[in-house]
Amino acid sequence: MITATASQKSKKSRYLSILMGITALVGVSALAAPAQSQGKNAETIIYGNTAGPGTLDPFVGSSTVDLEVMHHIFEGLVGMDANYAAKPMLASKIDVAPDGKTFTFQLRKGVKFHNGKEMTAADVQASFERYRKLSPNASVLADVTEYSTPDPYTFIIKLSKTNAVFLDVLKSPVYPFVVLPAEQKDKPAREVDIIGTGPYKLAEWRKDSHLTLEKFDDYAVDTTGKPADGLVGKKEALVRNVRYRFMPEANSRIAALQTGEADIIANVPRDLVARIEGRPDLEVRRLLACQQYFIVNTQQPGTDTPEMRQAIRTAIGVDDIMAAISRPTKRSHAMTIPGGEYYNGDLNNQYYDQKNPKLAGELARKAGYKPGQKIQLMTTATYPEFRDAILVLSEQLKEAGIDSEVHVIDWATNAANMQSGGGNWNISSTQFCSNPNLGPQQWKFMVYNFPHVKNDGTLDAAYDKFYTSQDLADRKTAWNQIEKQVLDQAYMIKIADTGLIQALNKKRLPSFDDYYINRFWNVPLK
Amino acid sequence: MLRLITFRLAHAVPILLIIAVLAFLLMQLLPGDPAVLMAGEGATPQAIQEIRQRLNLDQPLVRQLGTWLLHLAQGDLGSSLQLNQTVVSAVAERLPVSLSLAAISLLITVPAGIMLGVVAAYARDSWLDAVAMAVALIGVSVPTFWIAILSVILFSVTLGWLPSAGYVPLSEGFVPWLLALIQPAIVLALFQIGFLARMTRSAMLDVLDQDFIRTARAKGVVESVVLWKHAFRNTLIAVLTVVGYIFSLLIGGSVIVEQVFALPGVGRLVVQAVLTRDYPLVQGTLLLFGFIFVLINIATDILYLIVDPRVRYD
Amino acid sequence: MTDAALDFATDPPTWRHRAWKMAIRLFRHRSFRIGFGITLLLVVVATFGPLLVKTDPTAMQMRFRFRPPSERFLMGTDGFGRDVFSRFIYGAQLSLWIGLWVAVLSGIAGTFFGVLSGYVRAIDSLVMRVMDALLAFPPILLAIGVNAALGPQVHSVIIALSVSYIPRTARIVRASALVVRELDYVQAAKISGASGLRIVWRHILPNSIGPLLVQLTFVFAYAILAEAALSFLGIGPPPPTPSWGNIIAEGRDYAVEAWWIMLFPGIGISLAALGMNLLGDGLRDVLDPRLKIEG
Repeated sequence: MITATASQKSKKSRYLSILMGITALVGVSALAAPAQSQGKNAETIIYGNTAGPGTLDPFVGSSTVDLEVMHHIFEGLVGMDANYAAKPMLASKIDVAPDGKTFTFQLRKGVKFHNGKEMTAADVQASFERYRKLSPNASVLADVTEYSTPDPYTFIIKLSKTNAVFLDVLKSPVYPFVVLPAEQKDKPAREVDIIGTGPYKLAEWRKDSHLTLEKFDDYAVDTTGKPADGLVGKKEALVRNVRYRFMPEANSRIAALQTGEADIIANVPRDLVARIEGRPDLEVRRLLACQQYFIVNTQQPGTDTPEMRQAIRTAIGVDDIMAAISRPTKRSHAMTIPGGEYYNGDLNNQYYDQKNPKLAGELARKAGYKPGQKIQLMTTATYPEFRDAILVLSEQLKEAGIDSEVHVIDWATNAANMQSGGGNWNISSTQFCSNPNLGPQQWKFMVYNFPHVKNDGTLDAAYDKFYTSQDLADRKTAWNQIEKQVLDQAYMIKIADTGLIQALNKKRLPSFDDYYINRFWNVPLK
Repeated sequence: MLRLITFRLAHAVPILLIIAVLAFLLMQLLPGDPAVLMAGEGATPQAIQEIRQRLNLDQPLVRQLGTWLLHLAQGDLGSSLQLNQTVVSAVAERLPVSLSLAAISLLITVPAGIMLGVVAAYARDSWLDAVAMAVALIGVSVPTFWIAILSVILFSVTLGWLPSAGYVPLSEGFVPWLLALIQPAIVLALFQIGFLARMTRSAMLDVLDQDFIRTARAKGVVESVVLWKHAFRNTLIAVLTVVGYIFSLLIGGSVIVEQVFALPGVGRLVVQAVLTRDYPLVQGTLLLFGFIFVLINIATDILYLIVDPRVRYD
Repeated sequence: MTDAALDFATDPPTWRHRAWKMAIRLFRHRSFRIGFGITLLLVVVATFGPLLVKTDPTAMQMRFRFRPPSERFLMGTDGFGRDVFSRFIYGAQLSLWIGLWVAVLSGIAGTFFGVLSGYVRAIDSLVMRVMDALLAFPPILLAIGVNAALGPQVHSVIIALSVSYIPRTARIVRASALVVRELDYVQAAKISGASGLRIVWRHILPNSIGPLLVQLTFVFAYAILAEAALSFLGIGPPPPTPSWGNIIAEGRDYAVEAWWIMLFPGIGISLAALGMNLLGDGLRDVLDPRLKIEG
């Protein structure tokens, strides 16, 4: 055994002193840093939501968490007003030729991008070209024959076919048609620089933590005389910053609101509102702006015949599902919202809430279902309301003698499987927040793609009629047919109109207006 | 010393290489196409094919592995598929969070775990031992996320003493930083304290049975000196090994606590990357964990040298 | 049969005698007794409970959502009006089942790699380097990766957790193998022409069993905790089948208003892990007093 020598001892103390030195340095520099609390701040609205955006590239962004940030940063030629109608945003005037094929946009002058450059028609054209190249929604531009820019403030689109609802297509809040600087034209999907013309610009974005928007001082306020309305009109940033904090746990979000770490929070589970309702300074807001459905895969064995899909639909009772999902819900069979242009009353309600397990079992047997055959239910834990609906469905199918198997996967894969048809699933559940409000043109993509509808002449003909009818009454008739076909064939099975619960601090945000998506312009902070 | 470090680093190269290959193979096992996920809902087949080509996903497996290793040798970990960021910058952004959490947690664990262990060993078979070991056992038996949620309910929701979630960087001040991390750090430390205390106790028991302790006591050396100077010093190697192991676990393995307290740490980064099939990011971060693991082992070896001069690496 | 005389270690009467003596020593150990008691209780609950509980653990009754514990619902109901007591009992079955399989599988695979590397010198270095590399990944992350690769099924949870505990088990078996290999009587068996397989079977395995058992009780405890962690992240055993982990995961938002959903399975997990840890402590003290690191 070797004992320690003097030299080793001195070496040892040297290491120790170095270590202590480093510790002291770290400690001192930390204490010297300015103490600044993350909590209450007169200049910053703090908004707590479950998750942050996946991407801020507007042409590929479709989820609410992407969009609720994007529409503060980017603007398009047209946008939606409070009633979801298309209104000019970056355009000052829009002319539609009588044949419904040529659209002329006069652009507002003096609109600046966040990089200081003025927006012109060249930027608009470049944006449309980039959109057509990489947006999942690019097919809506398939009929475009020509873009032209006779002068820097005029932009013209020509179509090969009449499209009576082209402006409604352009107002799409999903994959929004916004204007990016022309230099961004060749940037691949998800790799654009985040530069828009909106009232806020992106200041900081830390994935899984927070995102901060900062007031854009050179924002060109729309002074054409329209008051703020939906996403358009006179928008002004009244606070310096908006900070989106991403907090996956409901308990943490609610605690953040209660302790003042957040001014407003989204996605409060319905069964937890009592915690907030007891507090006089806090307010609960319920919004019914979405609809939840079961999506049935028409190409997957087990649900590839209308008879079997109808048997499944017959087994479903919506009341239990509505009780289980922790969101505000309202019974409704329709694919549009009451009060909307295309709402058709009780016309197609025979397919809703059939709740007849016995009949469902008989129908299934007639459709060739053999006991033991498993219907594959795909869902995600990311959105508890989807998972909970699927779990209730699994029990209701069991009552009808139909076996099923639940697969819980991450939302990204669930969504990708729904759109590709791969991944071996029969039924999944999802929610649509803008399509029901916006109407048939926004529904088309989902109606065909999620259930993977093939060779349905009735549906094709109805949509054809819809696009080519200049008269609203004809378009309504076409829509009634579309809705009937989708529900009758059980491509999608309606669960309910759903919404979300938000809660806010009344003292800090005395005048915050609800919309189907949160807006932080024209919102004062006390 | 320098020789030791060089030797150990050279020794680490094959391990890192194996880690790299394992990380690569693990990602290949994953079903699901990253190109489909990247292209977004409703993308056309052409768009997906373009992404696949751009990322070399259409190349044969061995070729992809070769390319990756080649880039790796040049210090290039590639870019994340989802984050529009290089792997290095994505990790660099998260590492301070994980390191802060691990450091605070370790600062709580080490004194608490050692005290519990030493006291239990010293008072062997007494009620004190029983209590200390019961505490340690509960620490290693109770699920972390369960305690985390209960803790948020108690300290943030009911009492309102501590922030419920979120990270504040050190640059915004020491106190806010500490306040944001203290709750998750304690929750994380509970398991580690139990683990360390149990290890320390058994190491101490071994030493306390030995002749030189009896000799020291017979010579009339004060009990506290016997305990800490004679006995505990001789368990330092074992204790250091456990502490090193705990530290490496803390850096990558605190996913659960990061999730409950909404901390943007490396653990959540990897989980997200796995779920979105972000191959380069998963591979890069796993490699980084391997590297940290190796570094901590080397640091432990060096500490052995400092605490116990008898250890030599010739 | 030339080495029959050397096989005293596994000679049947001696073996049985030794096992009996070992059992007596184990039951004199307090930790072991408590751990054994807890484990036995849970195993009985998991095995016979489902036969006695009449309520279907997945049956939903929306009109009884979030009922607190009462005579009718011993542990209350959850957000679907499902009986938490019934779910707890069935959940015990699944959670313990997962723990058991992970211990068995990682035990078998770890033994295989440990013996291979401890006995076959040529590949020792390679196998151990691979094990070291696996050791560098935090177990929970490794499990998440493997689980994502295999898809959301009970068996993928089992395989994922088994894989992440193989390296630690392999190291322990290898360490015993290295020692046993050099013992005189093993060398003698070798010289007298015993085959490698025979030496492994007759000498190395019986001598590794102590440390291996100790390790596996700890793996069992970790596996139960890890199943809960995976469920919490939404990648545990798929619903509606209850496991302790996914009962907690589904009830976690209601920890204040419906505390009973989270409380009982949480206690179940803690008890199971506690029982296995105590059992392991006892085994270690009796079988292998020198073993220190369980990692």
